[in-house]
Amino acid sequence: MALTGIQIYKLLPKTNCKDCGLPTCLAFAMKLAAKQMELSACPHVNSDAKSQLADAAEPPVRLVTLKADGHEVKSGNETVLFRHEKTFFNKPGLFIRVQDDEAADGIRAKVSAADTYTVRYVGMDLTLDGFAVQSASSDPARFADAVSAVRAISKRPLILIARDPAIMATGLRAIDGESPLIYCADAGNWQAMADLAKQHRTALAVCSDKLDELADLTGKLKTKGVADLVLDPATRRLGTSLIRQTQIRRLALKKDFRPLGYPIIAFPCDASDPTQESVLAAQAIAKYAGFIVLNHFAPEMIYPLLVLRENIFTDPQKPIQVQPGLYEINDPKPGDPVLVTTNFSITYFSVANEVEGAGLPAWLLIVDAEGMSVLTAWAAGKFDAERIAKAVKETGVARKVARKRIVLPGHVAVLSGELEEELPDWEIRVGPREAVDLPVFMKQAL
Amino acid sequence: MPVEIPKDTWSGSVCTVTLGATTAAGGTRSHTVTVGGHKTLPFMHFEQPMAHRPVIALEIRDRRPDDWSPLLLEVWGNAVDDPASWANAGEKAGADLLVLSLSLTGADGHPTTPEAAVAAVKAVLKASGLPLLVFAPGQADLDNQLLVPVAEATKGERLVLGICEDKNYRTIVATAMANGHLISTRTPMDVNLAKQLNILVRDMGIPADRILMDPTTGALGYGIEYGYSVMERLRLAALQGDGNTQSPMIVTPGAEAWKAKEAKVGQDVPAAWGDWRERAITWETLTAVALIESGADIVVLRHPESLRRVRVASDDLMAVPETI
Amino acid sequence: MTEHSVSFDIASEPVRVLTGALVIEAARLAGVDIQQPCGGQGRCGRCAVQVTEGSVRRRSTLRLSPEDIAAGYALACQSVVEGDVSIAVPPQEKIERRLTTERTAVEVTIPPGYSPAAQPMRRVALTLVPPDRQDQTDDWGRIQTALRQQTGIDAFQISLTLLRRIGAVLRADDWAVTALLEADTWDRPNGPARVVDLWPGHIPDDAPLWGIAVDIGTTTVTLWLVDLMTGAVRAQVAEYNGQIARGEDVISRIIYAGKDSGGLELRDLVLKTINTLIATACKRVQVDPANVIKAAVAGNSTMIHLLLGIPAESIRLAPFVTAVNHIPALQAGVIGLDIHPEATVDCLPGVASYVGADISAGVLSSGLDDAGPVTLFMDVGTNGETVMGNREWLVTCACSAGPAFEGAGVLHGMRATEGAIEEVWINGGTFEPTFRIIGGGKARGVCGSGLIALLAELFLTGVIDRSGNINLKLPTARVRRGEHGPEYVLVWGSETQDGHDIVITRVDIDNLLRAKAAIYAGFTVLAEKVGAPLETAEEVLIGGSFGKYINVEKAVEIGLLPDMPWDRFRFLGNTSVRGAYLALLDRTARARITDIAARMTYIELSADNTFYDAFTSALFLPHTDLARFPTVQAAVASNANASHKSGKGT
Repeated sequence: MALTGIQIYKLLPKTNCKDCGLPTCLAFAMKLAAKQMELSACPHVNSDAKSQLADAAEPPVRLVTLKADGHEVKSGNETVLFRHEKTFFNKPGLFIRVQDDEAADGIRAKVSAADTYTVRYVGMDLTLDGFAVQSASSDPARFADAVSAVRAISKRPLILIARDPAIMATGLRAIDGESPLIYCADAGNWQAMADLAKQHRTALAVCSDKLDELADLTGKLKTKGVADLVLDPATRRLGTSLIRQTQIRRLALKKDFRPLGYPIIAFPCDASDPTQESVLAAQAIAKYAGFIVLNHFAPEMIYPLLVLRENIFTDPQKPIQVQPGLYEINDPKPGDPVLVTTNFSITYFSVANEVEGAGLPAWLLIVDAEGMSVLTAWAAGKFDAERIAKAVKETGVARKVARKRIVLPGHVAVLSGELEEELPDWEIRVGPREAVDLPVFMKQAL
Repeated sequence: MPVEIPKDTWSGSVCTVTLGATTAAGGTRSHTVTVGGHKTLPFMHFEQPMAHRPVIALEIRDRRPDDWSPLLLEVWGNAVDDPASWANAGEKAGADLLVLSLSLTGADGHPTTPEAAVAAVKAVLKASGLPLLVFAPGQADLDNQLLVPVAEATKGERLVLGICEDKNYRTIVATAMANGHLISTRTPMDVNLAKQLNILVRDMGIPADRILMDPTTGALGYGIEYGYSVMERLRLAALQGDGNTQSPMIVTPGAEAWKAKEAKVGQDVPAAWGDWRERAITWETLTAVALIESGADIVVLRHPESLRRVRVASDDLMAVPETI
Repeated sequence: MTEHSVSFDIASEPVRVLTGALVIEAARLAGVDIQQPCGGQGRCGRCAVQVTEGSVRRRSTLRLSPEDIAAGYALACQSVVEGDVSIAVPPQEKIERRLTTERTAVEVTIPPGYSPAAQPMRRVALTLVPPDRQDQTDDWGRIQTALRQQTGIDAFQISLTLLRRIGAVLRADDWAVTALLEADTWDRPNGPARVVDLWPGHIPDDAPLWGIAVDIGTTTVTLWLVDLMTGAVRAQVAEYNGQIARGEDVISRIIYAGKDSGGLELRDLVLKTINTLIATACKRVQVDPANVIKAAVAGNSTMIHLLLGIPAESIRLAPFVTAVNHIPALQAGVIGLDIHPEATVDCLPGVASYVGADISAGVLSSGLDDAGPVTLFMDVGTNGETVMGNREWLVTCACSAGPAFEGAGVLHGMRATEGAIEEVWINGGTFEPTFRIIGGGKARGVCGSGLIALLAELFLTGVIDRSGNINLKLPTARVRRGEHGPEYVLVWGSETQDGHDIVITRVDIDNLLRAKAAIYAGFTVLAEKVGAPLETAEEVLIGGSFGKYINVEKAVEIGLLPDMPWDRFRFLGNTSVRGAYLALLDRTARARITDIAARMTYIELSADNTFYDAFTSALFLPHTDLARFPTVQAAVASNANASHKSGKGT
């Protein structure tokens, strides 16, 4: 169980020696509690305390990493059931599946389109993570060919899917020296699969529709020396997947149940209704999957999923921000004023709501102030004349208005002089300090 | 190895709220829709059966919404020019509820009049037997001018009147109480603000079974994670027994998703965004399903195909064998 | 129904009432005027009367102590006549005094067993043997020898300024001289003693030796003039910090100081404030400021930096470090304080950028660093700092509350001086206020404690809702739309000093809500982060410029203080100046402050969004999580009932 700062403090030497780099032992204890420092930073802690603290530090969901040619997919190490409790750490890998009974041309076309797919979202280039190659033909040679074909096009991590260890072996040989994730071990084949996994140092997925059996299998595999396991609870529908994946995460986190303390793999690719594939994948992103296998590669489906993954895995401890940029309130015309404020979401909402509610048209210029409110941002040097001027230029608001009038929040009236220097052809006005007073100000003073 | 599945037990539950009143109950609806009542987290059937399934509302307007995406105007065709036809079409598309959003101005550019609002509401009530939510344009004075006569003209229908906000709730709550309606509150994506408004309206004496709360969401890509987590937190608080978070939640993924550039426009967008129509519908659908899983009891949508897909998803979420 | 006779001591005739009548109704019949500021809801206790014969049934005894009840006190609005009674109506003034004794100012107690030897300044009377042909020892050597013989101290230091005067002083009164020594100070515990000054002749041992203790607050500067011989505080003065005009909070000041000559200007402004206070205090006890020979200064880190003219920019920018936390001994003349130019100015040590010497000093004066049980100490000012802990551990945090509770940043706010409204009641039926004004004359404004009381009353009587929205539909002219939006008129212009209405606006209410929310969020998050729940605090110590005037009940009602049994709260007044005072008087205390500053673990609240969440949650009356304030909830419910029953519901 996680210990509080005070509990950890009681195990420390309490000398405030500063050898860990912090001013007091309590400060260090609180860093340990927040998992922001390692116990090893304290040279004076005794062995008894060490063992007590180590137990509290073991991750409840094992980290499994797939690597290939510089690409990497990490899954596991999660510590919470709900993202607001701390954050979700490792984004699930999104894999596109090809089956070995598909035409070779089709495979090549799909893989190369998916491999090169990249889409820009809030300044980031988002891509898919890899490919899953599935044996559908039951022909080992075809499987090996398909694996080779995919590898010839993409350097990204792979998942090999075959229940027959013999077929799996040919697939692995086709990419000898690599360590893909292999799928899957079940009650019948687990020993052979374990051998393959050990031989090729791969991660191994384990499948069963019963949690008891799943836990049994992971136990046996662990004993046999396969450490990197991935769970498939064999649910393929929305409702059952949600429940099973929740149960597994809960057992790992709340009961510290190690046999199910592994990442989960989900297969939206098996959706019976193709319009539900994205829905299943979306649920898998939010509800605990570590690897997600899709069937279709279509940008209109992949883009929303990549965005959702970014959204869900955003650290909620960071201040709530809105996108910097120019917002149009009540359909503004070129003669309407430009109001400026920061990108702290509450600030944005208060201003936008007041103006929108009063039915007054305006251009709302949201400056990137790292998600801080007006006063905080100003205090921290993140909302100054330079940043405002930069936002004016980047959004091109000057081209949208006939009259260049910009209204500063009253709290930063002090910036007006500098802003005049930065924006010489603009009329700088100082608005009220509180958003609630904006409508009256706009009606009377503008 | 026998695995004992941990089950959550909660001290609190979500209020049960019934929308609409049938003739027998003093209204004119063909049937009522009940939401809420949950005793555990969404779709955790192995702990408690879901008291009521999530329901899908379709948003219609009192007049052609000029700023809506061409995809929406196209799919609804001429119905957008007449709230009654639109209501009909929405019911046929499979909606459980209708949301009538009143416009800020009439087609002539003048503010919507109380008479016009009442007429639109009555036309919709006549055209469809579905329970109705009426949302005013969102400007305090005008909202109050429109909603009071609407509430009076539809006394006993158990309409949902919206939107109550921190700065403007007294009049709407009072008229809802006086005329046998429900209210919907809205706060900007913050657990505390949602609770605060709930306390404020309840301080006026409106019973808990007449309150829906809209904690607000962003669309996919536009802050959905905040709405998502706020709803998860509110639902957890409700189950933990916090009486001011126990109202069923309504959110508007349709309005949010269709505001997003990804759904709204088809031209001058990156090729990596793919097919416009499919992308737009996926945008709305994924926003809605994510929110349903985080605790939404009512999602308000705009496109009939999204409505269909969300329906399939919610049916699947409800259809879980007890053995799992 | 039986009739009973009720006689009032100040009425000529007894009256007859039926069983069940309220005492207040009987009083009205008898023509006796009893004030009911809260409108007869049993909230304010102002209608307390004394039953001298017979008895009444007390429906509520809120605000009456068991001793009061034993003495026959009853609330006229809450007590039912069920037999013949005689009632004494105390003069209104007497009731007020009885009510206000609960929160009398903390007198400055001299540390028990105080001896001037506990502090480093001492006068030594010397009678020197004059030099002659045989004994050609130099003047300074001569003094050192005499000092060594008389004090046992080996080594001495002296300044050039003093050396220039030494010859004249020794010869002025025939080689009788009094030396002022500073020995065994915190910065040189066993180092040489410093001869600070020399005066001709012998000064009597019991003559006062003057020192000052100063707290430089962002909004208010407080100064005590202390006789180091007896430890007595001889004058206490306070004034707004002259820097306010250049920004209300530390951040504005830092930014201002960073521009051109802004730093110099701010330094001059605060020096002017302090020097004016020195002059005022000295004048009050007729002392020449040049005779003040020691100063101990506490203040937040920014204030100390600005006083010393040290650039403070790094305090504001990540990673938020000060230029200096432990300041060496400096001399008054160098700093620019108008006291003895050679006097040591001891700027007490701080912990971090936002936890300064005012808090180290505050912890000392609160005794928190030596407490057994977990204790919470909060300093309520423009910055709200909280310290939690005991003798084993200490954690601290700071948040920006703004100056509202010091009366600044509020339209009609003012300091707690003459003309300030310091206590307010609002009648729950008529929404008419009654209030008490410091000095008793006409009102000039509202001070911090008055603002807290006003906010609580507005809330309890439904003039504002829990979000602070003013209900403009109330049937009273006191709520209206003013120049700054909705407002409540506390005093009509006809009754104020300047003839203008005194109002509280929606914006003022927001400022107050933010101030109280920041402070409440600060200590709740601190408790959460350290993993020691707030309820484990067995004592809550409150310091701050208004600390001694604050009304606990009102402060709990608005959610500024946690809803705990009132006996857990202790009000300490300005703990910062008191800590400086203790440091001035006692080496051990001074050493403890250094130790405290080193032991305190500073928690940065802005590291994640926990604080913001707690802040929003607290931005409500009394709090979004009503379960945290059970007694306030009960009070609200009973008020709602009372107005409902009396048909005054709105």
